[in-house]
Amino acid sequence: MISKRAIVLNIKDNVAVAVENIQKGEMVNLEVVKGNKFSIQAIEDVPFGFKIALADIPKGGEVIKHGEVMGSANSSIKAGSLVHVHNVQGRRAQKETEKGEGL
Amino acid sequence: MSFMGYYRPDGSVGTRNYVLVLPGGLVSTKICEFVRGVKTIITADSGSGRTKRDRETIARTLVGLGRNPNVAAVIIHGIHLGAGYPELRPENLANQIAVSGKPVELIASSEYKDAMKVIERGIRVARQLVQDASRLQREKADDSHLAIAVKCGRSDTTSGIAGNPVMGYFFDYIVRKGGLAFFGENTEIIGAEHLLAKRAINEEVGRQIIEVARATEERAKKCGEDIRAINPVPANIAGGISTLEEKSLGAIAKAGSSVIKGVLRYAERPAERGLYFVDNWMTQQSIFLGYTAAGATLTFYQLGGGGFLEDTLLSPNLGIVAPVIWTTANIYAYQAARESIDFYSGTVIEGKETIEEAGERLGELVRQVASGMFTKTETLKYQDPVQIYLQDAPF
Repeated sequence: MISKRAIVLNIKDNVAVAVENIQKGEMVNLEVVKGNKFSIQAIEDVPFGFKIALADIPKGGEVIKHGEVMGSANSSIKAGSLVHVHNVQGRRAQKETEKGEGL
Repeated sequence: MSFMGYYRPDGSVGTRNYVLVLPGGLVSTKICEFVRGVKTIITADSGSGRTKRDRETIARTLVGLGRNPNVAAVIIHGIHLGAGYPELRPENLANQIAVSGKPVELIASSEYKDAMKVIERGIRVARQLVQDASRLQREKADDSHLAIAVKCGRSDTTSGIAGNPVMGYFFDYIVRKGGLAFFGENTEIIGAEHLLAKRAINEEVGRQIIEVARATEERAKKCGEDIRAINPVPANIAGGISTLEEKSLGAIAKAGSSVIKGVLRYAERPAERGLYFVDNWMTQQSIFLGYTAAGATLTFYQLGGGGFLEDTLLSPNLGIVAPVIWTTANIYAYQAARESIDFYSGTVIEGKETIEEAGERLGELVRQVASGMFTKTETLKYQDPVQIYLQDAPF
């Protein structure tokens, strides 16, 4: 089976960055900075430079990259799926709603 | 390690040897067209109708650019300058630049009221200053004399994995050697400001870093638009970046891990060597001018390239008086814009080089460029108009 590469920047992260174009169904070898390698199966296409979920992330759950929170899941994200603007949103600098709170 | 540079009367060392004519506009442009080795800026920010705070920023930018170690001599004239506000009077600017000990020629408004005569006089003076400057020889200078600055742009996930960390390795080296280094981009620290604040030299500087992020975030919240439609910019999103926090967390790696000595205003010259955060705006027409006005003699544009389009002819001469080294870790950007990009660090992603090895290789390129080798974009004459980073509404 073809396997592709992705990089996990911090051992705390729940996403990895694809450094090759990954096709649905392919195995992904995860190279962890200062950690041990492991692998995961992609359940959808993840293009070069895009992120793949390493674990199931519930709706509202933290998306972690560089060891830090980079946003929240808009919907539940399955391990092996593409993580991008369709299912994750930032928590910072969001427009104020009428209630004066962030979105 | 060392490079070959131009020693200035104030002890600073330049990587280039230009004559600068200010302020920007028709007169200065004509002098530049006539005489080789002369630079100016093209900007709509004359100061007219601007608040005192913004006029001071314009003055600081012009004075700072004149004091830059890459500038051998300066010509100041009074045409189109500042509509008579005291901060922008040519005599004031000339006096402040002259503190550096370099030749400053004032073409006084009292004597030369006619723009045509100023052009004529300016050309004559510029020819003399350029010939004088050409007598200077490059001499050996250690790396502590370098003053570097970085912007990351078109950021994508390759920026955070390799492009910025390789840059950061080199920034740490320069700071360790006693050099001067600048980074900034207010919006792109939101979500990562706590990591920067931990590196502040003292509590006050840490508080200032948090304050820059807070004030920027407040403005974003109040602008009435969703930040996700502004920043990350569409090119970032096309390159795989999903949120502003993700962009910021990748972006801060470009300045390494050294202690942050202070938070500077746009175009503010620091009193000491070390690493500084600059309160500025990320756009390329603004940020490089601010860095060179603060004293940077060599600058970097660390390009992501996500959603890289057809503009493979990357902007030359953004820093006006300092070269820009374009770098990328994105193989697609590099292949598309090889004629403009000086350095490729995607080797780190490919597993062919470590961050340290790529950082050392970048250092070698820097020494060549600092010693006079043109960067790829520096071979072009074109210069973008510049935009001074102003805060207030015009009146």
